[in-house]
Amino acid sequence: MKKMSFIIALLAAATVLSGCAVNRATATVDPSADFSALKTMHVVKIPEENAGIDNLIADDLRRRGYTVTTGTDKPTNVDAIVTYVDRWMWDITMYLLELTVMIRDPQTDFPVATGNSLHTSLTRKSPPEMVDEVMTNIFKEQQK
Amino acid sequence: MNAHRIFSPILCAVVALAITGCATPANKEAMTVTGIQIARQHDGSVSVKTSGGVETGAMDSSSISNADFKSAIEASITQNKAFKSVMQGKDANYELLVSIMQLDKPVFGLTFTVNLEATWVLVKLDDRSVAMKKTIKSSHTATVGDAFAAVTRLRLAVEGAAKKNIEQGLQEIGALSL
Repeated sequence: MKKMSFIIALLAAATVLSGCAVNRATATVDPSADFSALKTMHVVKIPEENAGIDNLIADDLRRRGYTVTTGTDKPTNVDAIVTYVDRWMWDITMYLLELTVMIRDPQTDFPVATGNSLHTSLTRKSPPEMVDEVMTNIFKEQQK
Repeated sequence: MNAHRIFSPILCAVVALAITGCATPANKEAMTVTGIQIARQHDGSVSVKTSGGVETGAMDSSSISNADFKSAIEASITQNKAFKSVMQGKDANYELLVSIMQLDKPVFGLTFTVNLEATWVLVKLDDRSVAMKKTIKSSHTATVGDAFAAVTRLRLAVEGAAKKNIEQGLQEIGALSL
């Protein structure tokens, strides 16, 4: 009887926990966006963010051929401003749960593209992997 | 046989399942705007396209699907007479493109504030000129008083943010001289 109740509890826990692996990666690009006209970008660093997400995004954009600067300011003498929102969770260790990156018109702050990546603990990804996933999806979407 | 030892783990499992629950998507009726005053009601027809929405998975948190957001916007336009009619396809006078760029949802808490940023672009189809291109940010907070279950509270906050975004979008359209 003890064994049976343990098995029942285990099955119930598995039912609850197995559904908790959520993975999502999306990208939306404004139809009028022309990425070929973009040469310079500035990643706006969140002042209190210390995981280096701004540098990861900047490095990714540089690999794609853009001239990129980072900083907490929002200059207007660039072709695009890049903002991001990172959400972290704790599960034994801290991990990056969700990352949203937006590319904006520096004059109007209009978002011309956005990408989002969400991976819960059981299927967590490293910050560089999340950044790569988000940016790849944005650039894939704009080529459609 | 000790009944307590048999039923305790079963009871714990049942409670866990009850608390976890399953998220439901934002409801299109709950996102529909009714009874607002719009500065100007435009002649002509409009077709609506949405993007950036996502379907709500079984263990995901409430999201807004493209189809439901489109339906809510169409119903809001109709009920508030923002345009003479809503059409499907490319035969309308105008095309309204609404893209969800960011839906910022909290993970846990007693009070849920959801922030939504969407772009609203209105295009005149005969010459493809852009009549309006705006970013609309909206926010809605749901408390324990609105719903005890976290999944419901979050859904209410998402629906509220979407509804406010649609209302602001219609007001911006009403301010245009087309």
